[in-house]
Amino acid sequence: MSSGTDHHHETDPRSPEVRTEALEDLLVEKGIVDRARVEALIERFENDLGPMVGARLVAKAWLSPEFRRRLLDDADEVVAAEDIQGAEIEHIEIKANEPGVHNVVVCTLCSCYPWALLGLPPNWYKSPEYRARVVREPRKVLDEMGLSLDADTEVRVWDSSSETRFLVLPEQPEGTDHLDLEELAHLVSRDSMIGVARAQKP
Amino acid sequence: MTRDRGVHDIGGTQGWGKVPHSPDEPPFHNEWERRVLGLMFQVLRHTATRPGEMRYALERLAPDDYFDHGGYYGRWEAVMELLLEEYALLAPGELDVLLGAKEGTGPAHRASRVAPKDPHKLPADRKTPPPNHRTVRRELVDPPHFGVGDRVVALGANQEGHTRLPEYVTGVVGTVVKIHPAEVLPDSTAHDLGERPQHVICVGYRAEDLWGNESEAGVVVNVDLYENYLTAVEEAA
Repeated sequence: MSSGTDHHHETDPRSPEVRTEALEDLLVEKGIVDRARVEALIERFENDLGPMVGARLVAKAWLSPEFRRRLLDDADEVVAAEDIQGAEIEHIEIKANEPGVHNVVVCTLCSCYPWALLGLPPNWYKSPEYRARVVREPRKVLDEMGLSLDADTEVRVWDSSSETRFLVLPEQPEGTDHLDLEELAHLVSRDSMIGVARAQKP
Repeated sequence: MTRDRGVHDIGGTQGWGKVPHSPDEPPFHNEWERRVLGLMFQVLRHTATRPGEMRYALERLAPDDYFDHGGYYGRWEAVMELLLEEYALLAPGELDVLLGAKEGTGPAHRASRVAPKDPHKLPADRKTPPPNHRTVRRELVDPPHFGVGDRVVALGANQEGHTRLPEYVTGVVGTVVKIHPAEVLPDSTAHDLGERPQHVICVGYRAEDLWGNESEAGVVVNVDLYENYLTAVEEAA
Protein backbone atom coordinates (compact mmCIF):
# COMPACT_ATOMS: atom_id res chain seq x y z
CA MET A 1 0.00 0.00 0.00
CA SER A 2 1.21 3.44 -0.83
CA SER A 3 -0.48 5.38 1.93
CA GLY A 4 2.74 7.33 2.34
CA THR A 5 4.04 9.25 5.31
CA ASP A 6 3.05 12.70 4.11
CA HIS A 7 -0.57 13.63 4.52
CA HIS A 8 -1.50 14.44 0.97
CA HIS A 9 -4.94 13.21 0.05
CA GLU A 10 -5.03 9.80 -1.60
CA THR A 11 -6.84 9.85 -4.94
CA ASP A 12 -6.24 6.41 -6.48
CA PRO A 13 -9.73 4.87 -6.87
CA ARG A 14 -8.27 1.47 -5.98
CA SER A 15 -7.02 2.57 -2.57
CA PRO A 16 -8.99 1.35 0.46
CA GLU A 17 -8.90 4.89 1.88
CA VAL A 18 -10.61 6.40 -1.15
CA ARG A 19 -13.09 3.54 -1.45
CA THR A 20 -13.99 3.67 2.27
CA GLU A 21 -14.76 7.38 2.13
CA ALA A 22 -16.85 7.01 -1.02
CA LEU A 23 -18.62 3.94 0.34
CA GLU A 24 -19.57 5.70 3.55
CA ASP A 25 -21.00 8.67 1.65
CA LEU A 26 -22.93 6.39 -0.67
CA LEU A 27 -24.36 4.27 2.17
CA VAL A 28 -25.40 7.36 4.12
CA GLU A 29 -27.11 8.71 0.99
CA LYS A 30 -28.94 5.39 0.57
CA GLY A 31 -30.02 5.37 4.22
CA ILE A 32 -28.18 2.12 4.98
CA VAL A 33 -25.72 3.79 7.32
CA ASP A 34 -26.23 6.43 10.00
CA ARG A 35 -23.05 8.47 10.42
CA ALA A 36 -23.70 9.25 14.09
CA ARG A 37 -24.03 5.56 14.84
CA VAL A 38 -20.77 4.85 13.03
CA GLU A 39 -19.09 7.41 15.29
CA ALA A 40 -20.71 6.05 18.43
CA LEU A 41 -19.65 2.52 17.64
CA ILE A 42 -16.05 3.49 16.93
CA GLU A 43 -15.88 5.44 20.18
CA ARG A 44 -17.26 2.52 22.15
CA PHE A 45 -14.57 0.24 20.76
CA GLU A 46 -11.85 2.81 21.31
CA ASN A 47 -12.81 3.91 24.81
CA ASP A 48 -14.89 1.28 26.58
CA LEU A 49 -13.29 -1.94 25.42
CA GLY A 50 -9.71 -2.93 25.88
CA PRO A 51 -7.23 -5.29 27.45
CA MET A 52 -7.94 -3.99 30.98
CA VAL A 53 -11.04 -6.22 31.14
CA GLY A 54 -8.91 -9.32 30.62
CA ALA A 55 -6.07 -7.95 32.75
CA ARG A 56 -8.36 -7.58 35.78
CA LEU A 57 -9.49 -11.21 35.42
CA VAL A 58 -5.84 -12.27 35.40
CA ALA A 59 -4.99 -10.11 38.43
CA LYS A 60 -7.97 -11.47 40.36
CA ALA A 61 -6.86 -15.01 39.57
CA TRP A 62 -3.38 -14.19 40.93
CA LEU A 63 -4.91 -12.82 44.13
CA SER A 64 -7.43 -15.58 44.74
CA PRO A 65 -6.84 -19.33 44.20
CA GLU A 66 -10.60 -19.83 44.38
CA PHE A 67 -11.21 -17.29 41.58
CA ARG A 68 -8.42 -18.88 39.54
CA ARG A 69 -10.02 -22.30 39.90
CA ARG A 70 -13.43 -20.94 38.78
CA LEU A 71 -11.82 -19.13 35.85
CA LEU A 72 -9.99 -22.21 34.60
CA ASP A 73 -12.94 -24.56 35.18
CA ASP A 74 -15.72 -22.44 33.67
CA ALA A 75 -14.74 -19.02 32.37
CA ASP A 76 -18.24 -18.52 30.93
CA GLU A 77 -19.67 -18.61 34.44
CA VAL A 78 -17.11 -16.02 35.61
CA VAL A 79 -17.65 -13.76 32.58
CA ALA A 80 -21.41 -13.82 33.24
CA ALA A 81 -20.97 -13.24 37.00
CA GLU A 82 -18.64 -10.29 36.32
CA ASP A 83 -21.20 -8.90 33.87
CA ILE A 84 -18.66 -8.72 31.02
CA GLN A 85 -20.43 -8.18 27.71
CA GLY A 86 -19.48 -7.62 24.11
CA ALA A 87 -18.51 -9.28 20.89
CA GLU A 88 -16.79 -12.61 20.45
CA ILE A 89 -17.38 -14.22 23.83
CA GLU A 90 -19.74 -17.07 22.97
CA HIS A 91 -17.50 -19.43 24.90
CA ILE A 92 -14.27 -18.51 26.64
CA GLU A 93 -11.49 -20.80 27.78
CA ILE A 94 -8.60 -19.59 29.90
CA LYS A 95 -5.29 -21.42 29.49
CA ALA A 96 -2.91 -21.02 32.41
CA ASN A 97 0.85 -20.81 31.96
CA GLU A 98 2.78 -22.63 34.64
CA PRO A 99 6.34 -23.84 35.08
CA GLY A 100 7.00 -26.14 32.11
CA VAL A 101 3.88 -25.10 30.12
CA HIS A 102 3.42 -22.07 27.88
CA ASN A 103 0.22 -21.27 25.96
CA VAL A 104 -0.17 -19.09 22.87
CA VAL A 105 -3.31 -18.21 20.88
CA VAL A 106 -3.84 -17.75 17.13
CA CYS A 107 -6.58 -17.94 14.51
CA THR A 108 -5.04 -19.37 11.36
CA LEU A 109 -8.22 -19.22 9.23
CA CYS A 110 -9.17 -15.61 9.96
CA SER A 111 -8.44 -13.44 12.99
CA CYS A 112 -10.74 -14.62 15.80
CA TYR A 113 -9.92 -12.90 19.06
CA PRO A 114 -11.68 -12.40 22.43
CA TRP A 115 -12.70 -8.79 21.73
CA ALA A 116 -14.77 -8.38 24.88
CA LEU A 117 -11.75 -9.25 27.04
CA LEU A 118 -8.90 -7.72 25.03
CA GLY A 119 -10.45 -4.99 22.88
CA LEU A 120 -9.60 -4.69 19.20
CA PRO A 121 -6.87 -7.01 17.99
CA PRO A 122 -3.48 -5.55 17.04
CA ASN A 123 -2.42 -5.78 13.40
CA TRP A 124 0.38 -8.26 14.00
CA TYR A 125 -2.12 -10.79 15.41
CA LYS A 126 -4.07 -10.54 12.13
CA SER A 127 -0.96 -10.65 9.93
CA PRO A 128 -0.39 -13.62 7.61
CA GLU A 129 3.11 -13.97 9.08
CA TYR A 130 1.75 -14.69 12.57
CA ARG A 131 -1.19 -16.80 11.39
CA ALA A 132 0.96 -18.98 9.13
CA ARG A 133 4.04 -19.39 11.30
CA VAL A 134 3.00 -19.69 14.92
CA VAL A 135 1.51 -23.16 14.41
CA ARG A 136 4.64 -24.45 12.62
CA GLU A 137 7.46 -22.80 14.53
CA PRO A 138 6.04 -21.22 17.70
CA ARG A 139 9.37 -21.23 19.57
CA LYS A 140 11.08 -19.35 16.77
CA VAL A 141 8.21 -16.87 16.38
CA LEU A 142 8.05 -16.19 20.13
CA ASP A 143 11.81 -15.81 20.26
CA GLU A 144 11.67 -13.23 17.45
CA MET A 145 8.97 -11.40 19.38
CA GLY A 146 11.18 -11.25 22.45
CA LEU A 147 10.00 -14.26 24.44
CA SER A 148 12.50 -17.09 24.72
CA LEU A 149 11.29 -20.29 26.33
CA ASP A 150 13.32 -23.08 27.91
CA ALA A 151 13.73 -26.06 25.61
CA ASP A 152 11.93 -28.28 28.12
CA THR A 153 8.89 -25.98 28.39
CA GLU A 154 5.99 -27.48 26.45
CA VAL A 155 4.34 -25.07 24.01
CA ARG A 156 0.59 -25.37 23.58
CA VAL A 157 -0.80 -23.47 20.60
CA TRP A 158 -4.57 -22.86 20.50
CA ASP A 159 -5.99 -22.30 16.99
CA SER A 160 -9.38 -20.54 17.33
CA SER A 161 -11.21 -22.45 14.59
CA SER A 162 -14.64 -22.66 16.26
CA GLU A 163 -16.48 -19.96 18.25
CA THR A 164 -14.48 -20.77 21.39
CA ARG A 165 -12.13 -17.90 22.27
CA PHE A 166 -8.97 -18.32 24.27
CA LEU A 167 -7.18 -16.13 26.78
CA VAL A 168 -3.81 -16.95 28.32
CA LEU A 169 -3.39 -16.58 32.08
CA PRO A 170 0.26 -15.55 32.41
CA GLU A 171 2.36 -16.45 35.43
CA GLN A 172 2.51 -13.86 38.19
CA PRO A 173 5.92 -12.14 38.25
CA GLU A 174 8.01 -12.85 41.33
CA GLY A 175 8.03 -10.28 44.10
CA THR A 176 4.55 -8.91 43.39
CA ASP A 177 2.63 -10.53 46.25
CA HIS A 178 2.21 -7.20 48.04
CA LEU A 179 0.48 -5.45 45.08
CA ASP A 180 -3.24 -4.81 44.91
CA LEU A 181 -5.66 -5.65 42.09
CA GLU A 182 -5.17 -2.48 40.03
CA GLU A 183 -1.39 -2.55 40.44
CA LEU A 184 -1.27 -6.18 39.36
CA ALA A 185 -3.62 -5.59 36.42
CA HIS A 186 -1.21 -2.99 35.04
CA LEU A 187 1.48 -5.68 34.76
CA VAL A 188 -0.75 -7.73 32.46
CA SER A 189 -0.22 -6.64 28.87
CA ARG A 190 -2.40 -7.52 25.92
CA ASP A 191 0.53 -9.50 24.50
CA SER A 192 0.87 -11.57 27.68
CA MET A 193 -2.78 -12.63 27.41
CA ILE A 194 -2.28 -13.70 23.78
CA GLY A 195 0.78 -15.62 24.92
CA VAL A 196 3.58 -13.80 23.09
CA ALA A 197 5.00 -12.10 26.19
CA ARG A 198 5.32 -12.58 29.94
CA ALA A 199 3.57 -10.37 32.45
CA GLN A 200 5.75 -7.37 33.22
CA LYS A 201 7.78 -6.91 36.35
CA PRO A 202 6.87 -3.80 38.35
CA MET B 1 1.34 -21.59 -2.21
CA THR B 2 1.06 -24.60 -4.47
CA ARG B 3 -1.64 -26.48 -2.64
CA ASP B 4 -5.23 -26.16 -3.65
CA ARG B 5 -6.42 -24.39 -0.52
CA GLY B 6 -8.37 -21.23 0.13
CA VAL B 7 -6.61 -17.87 0.20
CA HIS B 8 -7.29 -17.61 3.93
CA ASP B 9 -6.17 -21.11 4.88
CA ILE B 10 -2.55 -20.26 5.59
CA GLY B 11 -1.75 -22.08 8.84
CA GLY B 12 1.67 -23.72 8.49
CA THR B 13 2.43 -22.31 5.04
CA GLN B 14 6.05 -21.29 4.51
CA GLY B 15 7.94 -18.39 3.00
CA TRP B 16 6.62 -15.68 5.33
CA GLY B 17 8.91 -13.17 7.00
CA LYS B 18 9.00 -11.86 10.53
CA VAL B 19 5.77 -11.02 12.34
CA PRO B 20 5.31 -7.22 12.11
CA HIS B 21 5.12 -6.96 15.87
CA SER B 22 5.25 -3.95 18.10
CA PRO B 23 4.02 -4.35 21.69
CA ASP B 24 2.16 -1.05 21.89
CA GLU B 25 0.60 -1.06 18.47
CA PRO B 26 -2.59 1.03 18.34
CA PRO B 27 -5.75 -0.65 17.02
CA PHE B 28 -5.96 1.81 14.12
CA HIS B 29 -3.21 3.37 12.03
CA ASN B 30 -5.31 5.96 10.25
CA GLU B 31 -8.78 7.39 10.01
CA TRP B 32 -10.12 5.18 7.22
CA GLU B 33 -9.48 2.03 9.29
CA ARG B 34 -11.65 3.48 12.07
CA ARG B 35 -14.41 4.26 9.59
CA VAL B 36 -14.30 0.71 8.21
CA LEU B 37 -14.86 -0.73 11.69
CA GLY B 38 -17.80 1.57 12.31
CA LEU B 39 -19.35 0.90 8.90
CA MET B 40 -18.94 -2.87 9.07
CA PHE B 41 -21.37 -3.45 11.90
CA GLN B 42 -24.14 -1.55 10.14
CA VAL B 43 -23.43 -3.19 6.79
CA LEU B 44 -23.53 -6.65 8.34
CA ARG B 45 -27.02 -6.08 9.71
CA HIS B 46 -28.22 -5.63 6.15
CA THR B 47 -26.13 -8.41 4.61
CA ALA B 48 -24.23 -11.32 6.17
CA THR B 49 -26.31 -12.26 9.21
CA ARG B 50 -25.82 -16.04 9.22
CA PRO B 51 -22.90 -17.65 11.10
CA GLY B 52 -19.95 -18.08 8.77
CA GLU B 53 -21.41 -15.93 6.02
CA MET B 54 -19.04 -12.99 6.41
CA ARG B 55 -16.02 -15.24 6.85
CA TYR B 56 -16.94 -17.09 3.66
CA ALA B 57 -17.21 -13.78 1.81
CA LEU B 58 -13.69 -12.88 3.00
CA GLU B 59 -12.46 -16.26 1.81
CA ARG B 60 -13.87 -15.55 -1.67
CA LEU B 61 -11.83 -12.37 -2.14
CA ALA B 62 -9.07 -12.43 -4.75
CA PRO B 63 -5.61 -12.96 -3.18
CA ASP B 64 -4.56 -9.38 -4.01
CA ASP B 65 -7.58 -8.00 -2.18
CA TYR B 66 -7.16 -10.41 0.73
CA PHE B 67 -3.49 -9.67 1.35
CA ASP B 68 -2.58 -6.40 -0.38
CA HIS B 69 -5.56 -4.06 -0.11
CA GLY B 70 -4.53 -2.31 3.12
CA GLY B 71 -4.38 -5.32 5.43
CA TYR B 72 -7.17 -6.36 7.77
CA TYR B 73 -9.38 -3.30 7.49
CA GLY B 74 -8.76 -3.09 3.76
CA ARG B 75 -9.97 -6.68 3.54
CA TRP B 76 -13.07 -5.59 5.45
CA GLU B 77 -13.64 -2.69 3.04
CA ALA B 78 -13.40 -5.12 0.14
CA VAL B 79 -15.82 -7.58 1.72
CA MET B 80 -18.36 -4.83 2.40
CA GLU B 81 -18.39 -4.02 -1.30
CA LEU B 82 -18.81 -7.70 -2.16
CA LEU B 83 -21.66 -8.25 0.30
CA LEU B 84 -23.45 -5.03 -0.64
CA GLU B 85 -23.37 -6.00 -4.31
CA GLU B 86 -24.50 -9.57 -3.60
CA TYR B 87 -27.40 -8.28 -1.51
CA ALA B 88 -28.22 -5.79 -4.29
CA LEU B 89 -27.74 -2.80 -2.00
CA LEU B 90 -25.12 -1.56 -4.46
CA ALA B 91 -25.37 -2.06 -8.21
CA PRO B 92 -22.40 -3.91 -9.74
CA GLY B 93 -19.64 -1.36 -10.23
CA GLU B 94 -21.65 1.45 -8.64
CA LEU B 95 -18.76 2.58 -6.46
CA ASP B 96 -16.36 2.50 -9.44
CA VAL B 97 -18.65 4.75 -11.45
CA LEU B 98 -18.94 7.14 -8.51
CA LEU B 99 -15.16 7.28 -8.26
CA GLY B 100 -14.74 7.88 -11.98
CA ALA B 101 -12.91 4.58 -12.33
CA LYS B 102 -13.35 1.87 -14.90
CA GLU B 103 -16.11 -0.53 -13.89
CA GLY B 104 -14.52 -3.66 -12.46
CA THR B 105 -11.82 -1.77 -10.59
CA GLY B 106 -13.32 -2.83 -7.27
CA PRO B 107 -12.76 -6.04 -5.32
CA ALA B 108 -16.32 -7.37 -5.71
CA HIS B 109 -15.65 -7.84 -9.41
CA ARG B 110 -12.65 -10.09 -8.73
CA ALA B 111 -14.20 -12.21 -5.97
CA SER B 112 -15.37 -15.81 -6.45
CA ARG B 113 -19.08 -16.58 -6.41
CA VAL B 114 -20.68 -18.69 -3.67
CA ALA B 115 -19.95 -22.36 -4.46
CA PRO B 116 -23.02 -24.58 -4.82
CA LYS B 117 -23.16 -27.08 -1.96
CA ASP B 118 -24.97 -30.41 -1.95
CA PRO B 119 -26.95 -30.57 1.31
CA HIS B 120 -26.97 -34.38 1.14
CA LYS B 121 -23.22 -34.35 1.71
CA LEU B 122 -23.68 -32.42 4.96
CA PRO B 123 -24.60 -34.13 8.26
CA ALA B 124 -28.35 -34.35 8.96
CA ASP B 125 -30.03 -31.43 10.73
CA ARG B 126 -31.14 -32.00 14.32
CA LYS B 127 -33.85 -30.22 16.26
CA THR B 128 -32.58 -28.28 19.26
CA PRO B 129 -34.39 -25.97 21.69
CA PRO B 130 -34.45 -22.42 20.27
CA PRO B 131 -31.95 -20.26 22.19
CA ASN B 132 -33.35 -17.32 24.16
CA HIS B 133 -30.67 -14.95 22.82
CA ARG B 134 -28.61 -14.63 19.67
CA THR B 135 -25.94 -17.32 19.84
CA VAL B 136 -24.33 -20.08 17.78
CA ARG B 137 -24.48 -22.45 20.75
CA ARG B 138 -27.06 -25.23 20.75
CA GLU B 139 -28.09 -27.91 23.25
CA LEU B 140 -27.74 -31.33 21.62
CA VAL B 141 -29.53 -34.35 23.10
CA ASP B 142 -27.17 -36.85 21.46
CA PRO B 143 -23.85 -37.16 23.27
CA PRO B 144 -20.62 -36.64 21.31
CA HIS B 145 -19.26 -39.65 19.43
CA PHE B 146 -15.80 -39.06 20.83
CA GLY B 147 -14.33 -38.82 24.30
CA VAL B 148 -11.18 -37.23 25.70
CA GLY B 149 -8.16 -39.32 24.74
CA ASP B 150 -9.70 -40.79 21.57
CA ARG B 151 -7.53 -40.80 18.47
CA VAL B 152 -9.20 -39.04 15.53
CA VAL B 153 -8.47 -37.78 12.03
CA ALA B 154 -10.17 -35.20 9.80
CA LEU B 155 -10.17 -36.59 6.29
CA GLY B 156 -11.05 -33.34 4.53
CA ALA B 157 -14.06 -31.55 3.14
CA ASN B 158 -16.06 -33.54 0.59
CA GLN B 159 -17.10 -30.47 -1.39
CA GLU B 160 -16.24 -26.86 -2.19
CA GLY B 161 -17.38 -23.96 -0.05
CA HIS B 162 -16.99 -22.72 3.50
CA THR B 163 -15.46 -24.92 6.17
CA ARG B 164 -13.57 -24.39 9.44
CA LEU B 165 -11.27 -27.33 8.88
CA PRO B 166 -7.73 -26.00 8.34
CA GLU B 167 -5.74 -27.75 5.64
CA TYR B 168 -2.71 -28.27 7.87
CA VAL B 169 -4.45 -30.79 10.15
CA THR B 170 -6.24 -32.65 7.37
CA GLY B 171 -5.18 -36.30 7.26
CA VAL B 172 -3.13 -36.02 10.46
CA VAL B 173 -4.02 -38.12 13.51
CA GLY B 174 -4.64 -36.21 16.74
CA THR B 175 -6.02 -36.80 20.23
CA VAL B 176 -9.25 -35.42 21.67
CA VAL B 177 -8.34 -32.92 24.39
CA LYS B 178 -11.73 -31.54 25.35
CA ILE B 179 -15.36 -31.28 24.20
CA HIS B 180 -16.64 -27.70 23.79
CA PRO B 181 -20.32 -26.67 23.73
CA ALA B 182 -22.19 -27.63 20.56
CA GLU B 183 -22.59 -25.01 17.80
CA VAL B 184 -24.41 -24.62 14.53
CA LEU B 185 -22.29 -25.90 11.63
CA PRO B 186 -20.78 -22.97 9.69
CA ASP B 187 -20.19 -25.21 6.64
CA SER B 188 -24.00 -25.31 6.42
CA THR B 189 -25.16 -21.94 7.77
CA ALA B 190 -22.74 -19.98 5.56
CA HIS B 191 -24.51 -21.57 2.58
CA ASP B 192 -28.02 -21.10 4.01
CA LEU B 193 -28.57 -24.85 4.36
CA GLY B 194 -29.77 -25.00 7.96
CA GLU B 195 -28.12 -25.20 11.36
CA ARG B 196 -27.07 -28.89 11.49
CA PRO B 197 -25.56 -28.39 14.98
CA GLN B 198 -22.43 -30.32 15.94
CA HIS B 199 -20.44 -31.00 19.05
CA VAL B 200 -17.15 -29.12 18.89
CA ILE B 201 -14.13 -31.27 19.59
CA CYS B 202 -10.79 -29.81 20.62
CA VAL B 203 -8.10 -32.00 19.04
CA GLY B 204 -4.43 -31.83 20.02
CA TYR B 205 -1.83 -32.50 17.32
CA ARG B 206 1.82 -33.17 18.08
CA ALA B 207 4.13 -30.96 16.03
CA GLU B 208 6.10 -33.98 14.81
CA ASP B 209 2.89 -35.46 13.37
CA LEU B 210 2.04 -32.18 11.63
CA TRP B 211 5.44 -31.12 10.34
CA GLY B 212 7.66 -34.22 10.45
CA ASN B 213 11.41 -33.87 10.87
CA GLU B 214 11.34 -30.09 10.66
CA SER B 215 9.14 -29.73 13.73
CA GLU B 216 10.11 -28.01 16.95
CA ALA B 217 10.29 -30.26 20.02
CA GLY B 218 7.62 -30.20 22.72
CA VAL B 219 4.87 -28.44 20.77
CA VAL B 220 1.18 -29.36 20.67
CA VAL B 221 -1.25 -27.52 18.38
CA ASN B 222 -4.87 -27.62 19.55
CA VAL B 223 -7.60 -27.10 16.96
CA ASP B 224 -11.38 -26.94 17.52
CA LEU B 225 -13.17 -29.11 14.99
CA TYR B 226 -16.86 -29.74 14.32
CA GLU B 227 -17.64 -33.36 15.09
CA ASN B 228 -18.70 -34.25 11.55
CA TYR B 229 -15.17 -33.47 10.32
CA LEU B 230 -13.73 -36.31 12.39
CA THR B 231 -13.34 -40.06 12.02
CA ALA B 232 -12.15 -42.42 14.77
CA VAL B 233 -8.74 -43.98 14.27
CA GLU B 234 -8.28 -47.61 15.32
CA GLU B 235 -4.83 -47.92 16.84
CA ALA B 236 -2.89 -51.04 15.90
CA ALA B 237 -2.62 -53.30 18.94
